[in-house]
Amino acid sequence: MDINTTFWFFERIQEDNLCMLYSGNFSDEITNKLIELSEYNINNIDALSKMKKKASFLMAECFQNIVRHGEKYKEVPSDGFFLTKNWGGVYYITSGNLIEKQKIKNLKNQLEKVNSLSKEELKILYREVLENSEISEKGGAGLGLIEMARKSGQKLDYLFENKNDNFSYFYNQILLKSDIDELNKIVSDFPLTDSISYHKKMVEENIMLIHKGDFSQDSIFPVLKIIEENLHKEFKDSSQKKKIFHILVELLQNISRHCYKIGDKKEGIFLIGNSDTNFVINTGNLIENKNIKKFKVLLDEINSLNQKEKRNLYLSKLRDRNLPANGGAGIGLIDIARRIISPLNYHFHPIDNQKSFFTINVIA
Amino acid sequence: MLQTFETAETRDKPYIIFDPKNNRFEIKGNSLPEDTTLFYKPVIEWIVEYSKNPNEFTHLICSLDYFNSSSAKMLYELFIELEKIKDTGNEVKVSWYYDPDDNLIEEKGLEFQSIMEIPFNVLEKKS
Repeated sequence: MDINTTFWFFERIQEDNLCMLYSGNFSDEITNKLIELSEYNINNIDALSKMKKKASFLMAECFQNIVRHGEKYKEVPSDGFFLTKNWGGVYYITSGNLIEKQKIKNLKNQLEKVNSLSKEELKILYREVLENSEISEKGGAGLGLIEMARKSGQKLDYLFENKNDNFSYFYNQILLKSDIDELNKIVSDFPLTDSISYHKKMVEENIMLIHKGDFSQDSIFPVLKIIEENLHKEFKDSSQKKKIFHILVELLQNISRHCYKIGDKKEGIFLIGNSDTNFVINTGNLIENKNIKKFKVLLDEINSLNQKEKRNLYLSKLRDRNLPANGGAGIGLIDIARRIISPLNYHFHPIDNQKSFFTINVIA
Repeated sequence: MLQTFETAETRDKPYIIFDPKNNRFEIKGNSLPEDTTLFYKPVIEWIVEYSKNPNEFTHLICSLDYFNSSSAKMLYELFIELEKIKDTGNEVKVSWYYDPDDNLIEEKGLEFQSIMEIPFNVLEKKS
C-alpha cells in the first residue's frame, strides 16, 4: 500500500455514507468488534436503526460462515473478507471466505435450493432441517443459508472466485432496507463483483482494514480495538503496539478536527496494512483549498528536520501556551514524525474550487 | 479548604482525584478525549485555585496508560500551575509512573522532566 491507495478507494466509495472493509483473520474478538462498529454505524442511519437487530443477526451469520467454513490455509495470510456499506439508502453486507473446491458443488446445490423456494417453503425447510437432518460435522447443514434468506427476504446473491488449484473464495452479499417490499424493486448498482475487486486490492496490497465514514470518537474506538486485537498477535513488544496505537489516535483525531465538514459529519477514510514487518497507515479527508498551503508548509518543515530537531520543535509547541490544545498546533503530526521510519508522505488531490482530497501515508 | 475534585474513568478520559483533605493527588488511565480543552478546563481551574493556598507538601502521582498529544498540552498546563506552589513557600513534587515495557510513557515522562522546574521523578511501576 502506498499513498495512491487512499484515493483508489476513496474514488470508489466516496458516495457511501459509510463503508468498512476488513480482510484477514476472524477471531471472536475481532468479529465482535466488527459487529459493534457496524451497529454503531447502523444506529446513525435513521431509516435503519430499527433494523439493528436483524442486521446484527445477519452479520453474525456471515461471520459464522467465515469461521466455520473458511478453510485454514497457511500460505494465504488473509482468509476472510467482510464489507458493510451504506449507499443510496441501502445497507450492504458482504462476506467472503475460502472454500475447498471439492465442496463447491454441494454448497452451490444448497444455495440454488434455497433460492428456488418461496417464503413459506423456506419456513418448512427450516423446520425440517432443524428436526430431522443430521447436522454436518461443521454444524452447517445449510441452516445458516436458510436463515439468511429468510431474515433478509431476498434471494442469496453469491459468487465463487478462483483462488488457486485447491481453493476458491465464496462471496455473498445481502442488502438491507427498512422496507423489504421496496427492496425487491431495487436493482443493485453495487454488484458483488465490485466488492470482490476491493478484496483483491486489499489482498494484493496487504491491507487489513479500511474505514470510510464518520470519525467521531464513538466510531474511532471500535476501529482502534480491531487493530489492537490484530497488533496483539503481531507484536510481543508492547512498546511497538503502543507506538502504532498512538500514531492511529493522532491521525484519526486529526481527521475529526480538520476535515471539511459535510453537515455535522466528520468524514474521512482510513486504511491500515502491513509491509514486511512494519505497519502502513493511510488517512484521507477533504479539506478546504485555502488550508492547503498551511498544511504543506507544516509537513515540509517537519519532514526537513532530523530526530533531535523534531524533538525540539515538539517541546517548543508543547510549551507554547498561546497555541490551542485542540489541534491546529501540528503537535500531533510532529510527534508522529518522531516515531515513524518514513517521512510524512502526503498528497493533495484537487476536487473542485472549494476543496481537495488530502492524504497522508506513514510507515511505522 | 477546596472541595475534593474527582472524575470518573472512561475509555477516553482518565481518573483524576485531587483530595487536599487526605493529601491525595492522582491521575491515571487513558486520556484522549474528543474535546481535550473542555475536559481539562475544570481540572486546570481547580489547580489554579489550589495553588494559591496549597498543602505544605503536594505530591501528584501520574500513572497514565496512554494520552494523546492534545492531552500532553493540557498536562503541561497543569504542571505549570503546580509550579506556582513553590512561590507560596510550600513543597510540590510529581511522580510519573510507567510500565517497564512502555517506552512511550517513559519517554513522555522524561520530556516533561526536562522542561519542568519542580521535582519530577520518572519511575518504573513495580508489578
